[in-house]
Amino acid sequence: MPENEDQKSEGPTAQASRCSEWLKRCLTIRDQPSQFERFSAGGFCIVLIVLVWGFVTAGPNEERIVGSYTLPSIKEAVDSFPRLWFERALARSTVASLMRVLGGFILAAAIAVPMGVVAACFPRVNAFFQPLSVFSRNIPVAALIPLTLIWFGLGETQKVMFIFIAAIGFIFFDTVNSVNGVSSRFLDTSYTLGAKSVPKKGAIRAGFIGLIYGVILAVIVGVISSLDNPSLTTAEVIQSPGVWGAFAAGLIGGFIIWFPIQSHQSIQKVMFPLALPNVVNSLRLLFGLAFGYIMLAEVLNANHGLGHIINMSQRNGPREHIYLILIIISLLAFTIDRVVFWLQKRWFPYVQS
Amino acid sequence: MSNPNSSLNEPAPPIVQFAGVTKTYDAGTSKAFTAIRDVNFVVEDRPEHGEFIGILGPSGCGKSTILRLIAGLSPQHPPTEGSVKVWGEDVTGPGADRGMVFQDYTSFSNRTVLDNVAFGLECQGVSKSDRYEQAIDWIAKVGLDPDHDPQKYPHQLSGGMKQRVAIARTLILHPKIILMDEPFGALDPVTRHNMQDLLVGLWRDLEATVFFITHDVREAVYLGDRVFILSNSPGTILEEAVVPTPDRLARDMQREPDFLAHVDRISTRIESLEEGKD
Repeated sequence: MPENEDQKSEGPTAQASRCSEWLKRCLTIRDQPSQFERFSAGGFCIVLIVLVWGFVTAGPNEERIVGSYTLPSIKEAVDSFPRLWFERALARSTVASLMRVLGGFILAAAIAVPMGVVAACFPRVNAFFQPLSVFSRNIPVAALIPLTLIWFGLGETQKVMFIFIAAIGFIFFDTVNSVNGVSSRFLDTSYTLGAKSVPKKGAIRAGFIGLIYGVILAVIVGVISSLDNPSLTTAEVIQSPGVWGAFAAGLIGGFIIWFPIQSHQSIQKVMFPLALPNVVNSLRLLFGLAFGYIMLAEVLNANHGLGHIINMSQRNGPREHIYLILIIISLLAFTIDRVVFWLQKRWFPYVQS
Repeated sequence: MSNPNSSLNEPAPPIVQFAGVTKTYDAGTSKAFTAIRDVNFVVEDRPEHGEFIGILGPSGCGKSTILRLIAGLSPQHPPTEGSVKVWGEDVTGPGADRGMVFQDYTSFSNRTVLDNVAFGLECQGVSKSDRYEQAIDWIAKVGLDPDHDPQKYPHQLSGGMKQRVAIARTLILHPKIILMDEPFGALDPVTRHNMQDLLVGLWRDLEATVFFITHDVREAVYLGDRVFILSNSPGTILEEAVVPTPDRLARDMQREPDFLAHVDRISTRIESLEEGKD
C-alpha cells in the first residue's frame, strides 16, 4: 500500500515536521484531540501521580521523603486491601452507602422534579417556593447533621433524610431552569394544534402515579424501620402505622404534585418531555454531588458504610484504608455517572451533543 | 370555538372581523408600547373558496400581533381595545380550528416526524392506528417520503423538511383558518418556490382561509388573493390590494410583466414606509 511505503521512507526531517505540526495543534485554542490523545493524556496524569507517590514513599520507612504515617507506600496500600475486604466488609459497606444515597436522592427527585415542572409552568407557584428554594440551596450542608440527628434520631432514617434535604433544593432549582429553557413557541404551537386541559384523564393518571409513590414510600419506610429495629417481624412492620402513613402520604402527595402536569396536554406532551433530557442530565451531575455527602451522613452511629470505614481507619488504622476508600468512592461515582450517561443516550436519541 | 352551523337563510357571519382593534403592552406605565392601532378589516365567508391574504409591512409594524390575535395567543390576546371576531364570535383563546405555522422551526424535537404530524389527533384522543394512518397520508401529501421519513427525528431534517412537517401537522386537523407567520422566511429561494407551490396546491383542496405574513413582496403577490399593507408602528391597515390568483407554477408566474407590475407598485409603497415617508 502506498501509505505504508510513505511511512517507511519517511526521513527524520519529515518526522520532525510532523512533530512540530502536532505541537502547533496542541497550542491551538479549541483544537479537538483524537480519542487516542484524550486517553493518553488522562493515562499520563494517572501514571504521573503513581510515579510521584511511589517516589516520595520509596525505600525503608526511615529513608522516605514522606513517612508511612502520613502517606503509605503503594505496596502497603494494596497489601491492606484483603483486610479492608474481609474485616471491614467492603462490599457490604459499599452497598449500604449506595442505598442511603440512592434512597435519599430518589426520594428528593421524585418530589422536586414534578414540583419544579409545575413551578416553571405556573410562575406564581414558583414565586411561592422561591424562599424555600433559596434557603435550601444556601445552607451549609454540614449544619444539617446535628439537625437531622435531632429530627430523625441515630438510625438509617437520619442518613437517608440528610441526603434528601441536601439534594431537594438543587434538584428543584435545576428542574425549574430546565423547563424554563423550553421556548414558549413550543407552547404556542401545542395550543394551536389543540392541546387542552384534560382534568379527568389527568386525575386518573395522577392517581396511578400516587399509588406507585405510596407503595414505594411504604416499602422504604418498612425497610428502614426493620433495619433500625431488627427484632420486628415482617408482619409487624407491614401493620405498623408508620408504613400506612407513608402509603397515604405518597398517594396523596403524588397525586397533588402530578395532577397539574397530567391534566394539561401542553405540559404532559410538550413542556415536560422537551425539558426531560436536561432534567436527567442535571440529576446525573447532582447525584455525583450527593454521593460526596455520604461521608457527612455516616459520621455518627453507622454500622456499615464507606464513610464509616474512613472514620474507623482514621481512629484505629490502618490509614491505608482511607486512601483505598477515596479511590473506591470516586471510581464508583464515575461508574454510575457513565452508566447514566449511556442511558441518557439511549433514552434521548434525539438530543444532539 | 366551532363553526356555527347556521341555517341557510341567514347570512353566514364573516370568517374574521377586526373592529377598531388596538393592542398596547404595559398600558398605563412608562413602558407602554402600542403594537397596532385601530385595525379594521373583514374577511367574508366565500363558500367553497377560502381566501388567501398576504400581510406585508415594514419591520416591527405588528403583523405578528394581528395573527396572534386571531389565534388567541397571549400576550397579544386579548386586545386592549376593539373586538376580534371569528365566525361572529369573540376569540377567547387558542384552538385547533385556527392552525398556525411559525417561522422558527417548532417541530417537537422529542417526537418522530410521524408523532409530530399526529400530535393534534393525539390530543383529540384519536386511536394510535387511526392517527398514524392519517399522518402517513399527510406526510406523503406535503412531499416527504412516507416510507423513510416518518421515523426520523426533527434534527435529521433540513429546514424545508421541518416546515413541511409543520404544515402537515397543522393541515391534518383541517382548520378553517390557517395562520402563517413568515413560514418560509428562513428557507433558500429554490426551496421557497417549491414550498409556495406545495402550499397553493394544498390550500385549494382545503378551502381554508389563509393569513400569510411575509417580508417578500413577490411571495405575497404570488400567493395572495388580497394583500394587506400595514403602516409603520403602531400598525394599521393602509391598503387592501387585490392581486392575481396563483394559477401557475411560482417560478413561471413570478416572471410575467403583469405580476411584476403588481410587485413593483407594492414594493415602492413598502419602501417609502420603511423610509418613514408615508
